Amino acid sequence: MNITDLNKKEVAKIISLSDIDKLFTKRLMDLGIYESATVVMLNKLSSNRLYIIEVDDVEICLRKEDAEKIEVKK
Amino acid sequence: MIYLLAGNPNVGKSTFFNFMTQSHVHVGNYSGVTVEKRVHHVKHYEGANLVDLPGTYNVSPSSQDEGIVTYSLLNESYNGVVNIIDSTHLRRNLHLTVQLLELGVPSMLVFNLKDALKNNGYVIDIDKVKDRLKVNAISISARDRQNEDQKQIASEMQNLRITKALELDYDPIIKWGLQRIHDLLRYDVIQVKKKWLALQILEGNEGTFKFLDLVKEEKIREVVKEVEDRIIEAKVAFSLKGAIFNTRREFINNLVEECLIKVEEKEHSKYFNQKIDRIITHPKFGIPIFFIIMLAIYQVSFGTFLGVGNFLTTYFEIGWNDYLVYYLGQALEFLGLTGFMYGLLIDGIMGGIGGILVFLPQIIVLFFMLAVLEGTGYMARVAIVMDRFLSKFGFNGKSIVPIITGFGCTVPAIMATRTIADKKERILTILTIPFISCSARLPIYGIFTSLFFDEYRAIIILGLYLLGIMVTLLSAKFLNLTYFRGSGSKFLLEVPPYRIPQLRTITYQALEKAKRFVKKAGTFILVGSMILWLLSNIGMDGININPEESFLSNIAGFIAPIFNPLGFGDWQATSSLISGVLAKEVVVSSLNILYVGDIAAGFTTLSALTYIVFASLYVPCIATIATIKSETGSLKWTVFSVIYPFVIAYLVALSVNLIFGIFL
Repeated sequence: MNITDLNKKEVAKIISLSDIDKLFTKRLMDLGIYESATVVMLNKLSSNRLYIIEVDDVEICLRKEDAEKIEVKK
Repeated sequence: MIYLLAGNPNVGKSTFFNFMTQSHVHVGNYSGVTVEKRVHHVKHYEGANLVDLPGTYNVSPSSQDEGIVTYSLLNESYNGVVNIIDSTHLRRNLHLTVQLLELGVPSMLVFNLKDALKNNGYVIDIDKVKDRLKVNAISISARDRQNEDQKQIASEMQNLRITKALELDYDPIIKWGLQRIHDLLRYDVIQVKKKWLALQILEGNEGTFKFLDLVKEEKIREVVKEVEDRIIEAKVAFSLKGAIFNTRREFINNLVEECLIKVEEKEHSKYFNQKIDRIITHPKFGIPIFFIIMLAIYQVSFGTFLGVGNFLTTYFEIGWNDYLVYYLGQALEFLGLTGFMYGLLIDGIMGGIGGILVFLPQIIVLFFMLAVLEGTGYMARVAIVMDRFLSKFGFNGKSIVPIITGFGCTVPAIMATRTIADKKERILTILTIPFISCSARLPIYGIFTSLFFDEYRAIIILGLYLLGIMVTLLSAKFLNLTYFRGSGSKFLLEVPPYRIPQLRTITYQALEKAKRFVKKAGTFILVGSMILWLLSNIGMDGININPEESFLSNIAGFIAPIFNPLGFGDWQATSSLISGVLAKEVVVSSLNILYVGDIAAGFTTLSALTYIVFASLYVPCIATIATIKSETGSLKWTVFSVIYPFVIAYLVALSVNLIFGIFL
């Protein structure tokens, strides 16, 4: 499953980032989004096109197409 | 003594810098890279300077802006590093801290936002932090500006411990790689510790190669490749960088667990955030809500109903014209100065500057309210609301920051594009941002709307802003389809919690804008007005001539006919546009001088409308053009940035002239 499959308030662990270019991976990593990080789904906005997640106490807004590439495990 | 101030973006670094140096001033450029760095001396510490580095998550750069941190750490001499940390986001902030401590230079950790952390129900056990990391550390709240904090930090900075570099237990494969690279670095003479450098190289910090000319670069890159392959093969992580990152994360998690102490059970504000977010970022109502808020702000600044700004301007105008200028005129007459000198001082200088300064109250009111919006965290939500919209035009999600900055001044907006990592996307943003209406264009809108469209002021001004935004977006789309084809846009945004903005910060921000505005009036506009008045009063036949025979009339009159199709083809309107390239405010002072205070006589309602439309979009000011040149480093794009807006402004104004010609 990926991040978009999580329901609100659900917690999961990131297991892989697939098919994301190097530069964007680095930016994700800067914000703590990387394998073994714990994510909480906080909110789905803009008709489920944008996702607000929490990683390391930071709230981050992601687009659907990017969130789909982040595999998680509950 | 020089201390570098490093920290993540948006952790109160600038607040801390101003607090420690008691300055609001920008002191000077710092040598090294082309980017500005603020330097100022530290209060209570004689002879010490603090260097404010740009905010960064990481020592290794992902954009030009962040490259400065690597550069400074590698190539500049300094006595210590002050690392400012957001206490409410320790897990993210400490990644930078770990990298700085691995360097092993005298360091001090400043845990900021103590009050916010306490509100969440936590405190940091500073003694434990000191003990675990073997560095000086303090927990403060820079917003409160406590004098004791300032003194304590200054005194600790004078007695920084000589720290042993922090050593984390990286995977054996990485340790092996570190040793190999360390050996290869023996051929180089480098100031920084080679162990640290080796780790940065493994992490993929390209800045190390860029700023240092390493003898064995080829060999080193081979080792990095080999280590990466082995890490992936051994399934330690998906990448070498990730393996290093994970070790650090583990170390940080343990540290936070030990040092962050819960003192009180508090309901987290996140759920409060979410409720507001659902309304504010609603897919249907989000954009209308934004426009209603903006319309209200423009109404209060410029409108007549509830118009605080407009009200203040009226009194400012009376004070300026009926008192200051009147008595100055009397004094000049008393001194026997009449004729040419009287004209230069009263009509030229006072008329020119006065035409601009009357907008000062409105600008203060506008920026005060925009600063409130920014301080609450609403702007990040605007970025969310606008994302779908912006991405359709090929904008990078990060472009929203420069775009919003552009409403103030185009120059810092262009500099703010440094945070966009992709070069193509960055140039695209730079080229389109000058269409966003900056505050210098406000006086033009202000004067024309008050003369011709008094009832609809707020709506017309908002309309001009929307026009600017539309042209920006369409230009981006156009450039994306033609030259910049195929650059995808990404969106990744940190969502700040809603906060009640501090009155002091907001007032400071608004006054700072006002100060810049007045400063410009006293320099650029003053000189511009003088030159313009002189050129319009001197001709082939000498001074004190009929302005129709002046030099200015002859020069501008030659160009003016090209504006005939737009409806304002006289030499006064044309000269004002030309002088506006100096600074956009000068358009208004020029009009005031050339139409001798009666601008209304020179325009019809329709030509007034096409004039402001043209003026809102045409050639950027000199400062902007110079910034575009230095930021893109390309003559081609600089020339483009001058010609393209002219053509666009002409076409749009022509359309306005044709369409509104039916009604007006």
